[in-house]
Amino acid sequence: MVTIRDLHFAYRRRMVFSGLSLDLTPGHIYGLLGRNGTGKSTLLRSIGGFLFPRQGDIDVLGYTPGKRQPDFLQRIFLLPEELFLPPLPVRRWVRVQAAFYPRFSQEQFNKLAAGFSLPLDGRLDEMSYGQQKKVLICFALATNADLLLMDEPTNGLDIVSKSQFRKVMAGAVDANNCIVISTHQVKDLENLIDRVTIIDEGRILFDQTIDAISRTLLFRLSYDPKEAAAAIYSESSFRGNALILPNSTGEENAPDLEMLYKAVMLRGEQLNLLFK
Amino acid sequence: MNHHSGINQTFSFNRWTKLLLFHWMVNRKRYLLALPAMAGLLLVWESFILAMNTFQPLDKGFQGMTYYAGLYAVGCLYASMTFAESGTKAQGIAWLATPASALEKLLCGLLYSAIAFFVVYNLVFYLVDIPMVRIANGLIENGRRTWPGGPRIDSVQIFNVGKGGLNDHSEGWDHLFVLFYFALQSAFALGSIYFDRYAFVKTGVAVMIALGCFMILQQRIIDPTLPHGWHRQNFYDWIVDWDTLRARGVRLSPTLGAVLGAMLIYGIPIVCWTATYFRIKEKEV
Repeated sequence: MVTIRDLHFAYRRRMVFSGLSLDLTPGHIYGLLGRNGTGKSTLLRSIGGFLFPRQGDIDVLGYTPGKRQPDFLQRIFLLPEELFLPPLPVRRWVRVQAAFYPRFSQEQFNKLAAGFSLPLDGRLDEMSYGQQKKVLICFALATNADLLLMDEPTNGLDIVSKSQFRKVMAGAVDANNCIVISTHQVKDLENLIDRVTIIDEGRILFDQTIDAISRTLLFRLSYDPKEAAAAIYSESSFRGNALILPNSTGEENAPDLEMLYKAVMLRGEQLNLLFK
Repeated sequence: MNHHSGINQTFSFNRWTKLLLFHWMVNRKRYLLALPAMAGLLLVWESFILAMNTFQPLDKGFQGMTYYAGLYAVGCLYASMTFAESGTKAQGIAWLATPASALEKLLCGLLYSAIAFFVVYNLVFYLVDIPMVRIANGLIENGRRTWPGGPRIDSVQIFNVGKGGLNDHSEGWDHLFVLFYFALQSAFALGSIYFDRYAFVKTGVAVMIALGCFMILQQRIIDPTLPHGWHRQNFYDWIVDWDTLRARGVRLSPTLGAVLGAMLIYGIPIVCWTATYFRIKEKEV
């Protein structure tokens, strides 16, 4: 669905990507993690065709994104971190904007909006940032786009809405589409994403499915100092030591994404060796 | 790699009409508010002249100058906002992500800023000007005004942009003011996508620099290539100095002259609109 080869990108003199390659396949929700300024948003905008590679190739659904052909734009949707919604009543904006998306479902939009308790009789410019974001999330999902790119989608959402977001996103992916969520709030993506991609300084540090992570790594709390010494990564807490250990017994467990992220940043090479 | 091409990806009338509707929905408040603002300014200005000029208020030349001053000022200001949405990250992404081609986005912008604005400006101008000229003629008639020591002042006529004629000698040439307006307007439309911020000011400066370069080109490059005593009359006529010799003219063939003239008059908007199209295609946010 998305093939990136040898991507080079720079803002004036600041190099963001130098030789990044990545494949995204349908049927997955990808979590794109990384520190601020490491190129998560740049990657999403490059995939969406809003930034052009200085070198290398990007292929999305068989299109070159930078050409921004109408057929391509109908099949993807980018939810940016900084929103712009015109000063229009919600229903009118949805009507005129939806005309561009042949697969848009009004029924689906109404259902999603009801799930988020969105007031559809109001005006977009009178809504809070969080409400505007929810309108865009509902619209993005209702377009039934093949590729959904979401940049920090949970920023500005209240606790209930975050939970609703996870619920609707989990039901949004099927065998034909793909969702990429970029965030630094990794806790918001737990139990939602099925593949973790961590980028730093323009390169992929870690790229594994949640299944592979839980098969290979063991996330557990322990008071045993010997176990802590053998851990790939450990954090002390009131509840004992939170550890990441090699999963040599195949024990089932749920990865703690925040710990995984920190472990990748500090012990990336050691972790990646376990997956080979 | 890319198998998705064809005329439908460049222009679709159906998609373009959707874009026009979307543009109208988003911008109609701004456009509709501009109508009373333009009419109000014109009304205040012409009322002021009516009150101040005790002889022949609102003559044709004055109406014409008012018409062109308003057209150039407001038209260029509006043109500099044609693609302003591309200047910020949030708005730019929303605009570029709208599933329409670069050509459709260009034609949508130009329809509103070049054509619709011109039509609406004329409507507003005559909606205010015609009654104001009637009032002026009423004042002239009732006041039995005469020039000091001279004949009685005639009633004033309505300025007709279709005929031109700022005064009786210029009829037939004033259309150049309209054509030059479209050239300048197209430069400001280009500036609206070229400059992310302060497009009006920056384009104004760029136009001044371009005009300066054009004058330098004529005076420093073209003129020195002429034989001694010869001077340029326009782009395709040259004459021998009137003071020293009998005037003699040299001109290019009528066809070549007409081609050069047409390129200067009609070519600038086409060049600017083409540049705008490519700028939309290569715009990054």
